[in-house]
Amino acid sequence: MFSVSPEIYKVITQASRYLFAFFALMLLLFALSWLYDERRKRRERLRYLPEAGNIGEMVVISGSDQLPVDTWFPIPREGILGSLRSCDLVVPCPGVHARHLAFSWQDGTGLIIKPFPGCETFVDGVSLITAVKSEMPVMVHGSCLQVGSAVLRLQLLSALEHTNRPFTVTAPEPFLPFTDPPAQEYRPDQPNPMNQPLIGNPADGLSQQESQNALDPAVVSVIPEEHLPVQQTAPRRKRADRWKEDFSE
Amino acid sequence: MSKKSSPRFRFVFAAALLVLLALLVPALREGDQRLYLLAAGVTGAMLLCMIIPARLFSLDRLILSIALYLGAVGIISLATTNPDAALMQLLRCSAGVVALIIGAMVIRIISPSMLTAGISSFLGLLLLAGSLLVQDLPFPFTEAALILMVISFSSLLSCYGGAAALLPGIIGTVLLLLQGMTVEASVLALTVLLLLWAADGKIGLVLAALAVFAAIFFGAAHFGYLPAFIPGEEHALSLSTLVSSGLFGSETVTDLQNSALPASSLVYLLSENYGLVFTGLTLFLYLPLMLRGTSVAGSARARFHAVLALGCVLIFSLRIPASLLSAFGVLPLPLNPLPLLTDSLPDLAAQMLTLGLLCGISSVNETNLAEDAHLAMLAK
Repeated sequence: MFSVSPEIYKVITQASRYLFAFFALMLLLFALSWLYDERRKRRERLRYLPEAGNIGEMVVISGSDQLPVDTWFPIPREGILGSLRSCDLVVPCPGVHARHLAFSWQDGTGLIIKPFPGCETFVDGVSLITAVKSEMPVMVHGSCLQVGSAVLRLQLLSALEHTNRPFTVTAPEPFLPFTDPPAQEYRPDQPNPMNQPLIGNPADGLSQQESQNALDPAVVSVIPEEHLPVQQTAPRRKRADRWKEDFSE
Repeated sequence: MSKKSSPRFRFVFAAALLVLLALLVPALREGDQRLYLLAAGVTGAMLLCMIIPARLFSLDRLILSIALYLGAVGIISLATTNPDAALMQLLRCSAGVVALIIGAMVIRIISPSMLTAGISSFLGLLLLAGSLLVQDLPFPFTEAALILMVISFSSLLSCYGGAAALLPGIIGTVLLLLQGMTVEASVLALTVLLLLWAADGKIGLVLAALAVFAAIFFGAAHFGYLPAFIPGEEHALSLSTLVSSGLFGSETVTDLQNSALPASSLVYLLSENYGLVFTGLTLFLYLPLMLRGTSVAGSARARFHAVLALGCVLIFSLRIPASLLSAFGVLPLPLNPLPLLTDSLPDLAAQMLTLGLLCGISSVNETNLAEDAHLAMLAK
């Protein structure tokens, strides 16, 4: 095979020793820049996917002064619920232990709740402490969890695949030629659409479209002022917003 | 309009070029056919592995590329003095790549359960007890046993909590101490404690575990199972070997023949032939590898994957400072080869398996993120 004279080889070896050190330095820099580049890309990707890693959210139905109603928590696939700040779900309510329960998501089944010893927990009114292991309730879309004085409702991202409530699919109405709707007179004995909850829950049978219709100015204009709701439902509050307030204090 | 090349392309290109040149230069001396074969084979295999298995098994490119490069550096260190040994090292690295792919596939099969924990604990403890009973075992299986213990620990921690997960770790540490493997026992004990602290978070349990491990090490020292920590002759020899060739290596090719130094460690050969600068910069590549592993652990959705990834990073990386500090004579610990820079097949395969597990978890993370992106798209 091809070889060179000892003199040329000596020059090549001498040059290569510095060249290899330079290459090793470049490799290290390239590896670090690759790592940085991947991290940056991942951060950018996660910025567009704020729900990444979560299976849904828990909405507070009944809470405490520190945990107002309608606060919502993003739910990771598994974690610990308790009143400690180090927990994945922090529920600062009377009756909630520092580490109250562990939860984990199982695809196709739902959210499995495992309370720690001595921590009373109810899922849809069934106590997990007294429930038989084989009949242990699993949280699905719309299930309510009661820990201490707090009641939380689970809303899943993949709601239709994980629910025990029947969803009826209505057939589309046949096309009818457009006619002016008959004028409706407001009667105080009729239920006021504005008193209905604004956020539609599939389980309640009120869709978001219907909620929006309830705010239609055309409908509102025919309602006398004294029958308009005095106070709207409080805006949804993410639990993290509360933390920001706490830290600013 | 020219497009800026990606950091991945630059790294792969530079690594392939460096390996090719490093194997061609000694080949030019005598025109050795084996070295030409190695130059073509190693570079080609590196590039092929970075393309085909990475795509087929969705492996993490950064971890795979650095692992392949460090494996190739091991071959380079042997090629200058012993081409036959370098060819054997190429075969060992090939087996290591297979182990890496197996590791990446295994992570998609195993789930945290009593079965996983039972099988991995049994196999891990069997390997440790086997090497205790059969003293002159031809292959050391300690590295493989450590990985199995970490799998068992992660599975038990995810299913039954920290207290249950401690037991195999304690038994493993005792078995390692009985064999006089202080560094390995310390690595396992530290890994278990750090994982317990990171994943379980119960300070009472961590303190109790710390007390148990302290008692075990104290007992081992009391009964004479811990070797005396006195800097020996081999530490001075190790330091002199590492610095003997200066910053950029000596002009003459050196074949290391010293029985006092660990035979399987390739870092001495590397330093003798290429100098301290090249060796140091190469060893710094462990840093992005560890950082990437930590990032994989942090992004994992399931607790089992997170604990396992962190365990793999700890098992892999805790050995590096121990090996380096003992090699430079700073710590009077037994001399051990650095990860991936070893010519011991079981150790290399176990280390590649560890990186394979990390690649597999990284791939699972990517799949989860892609599912989230799909859900977000549907929600729009």
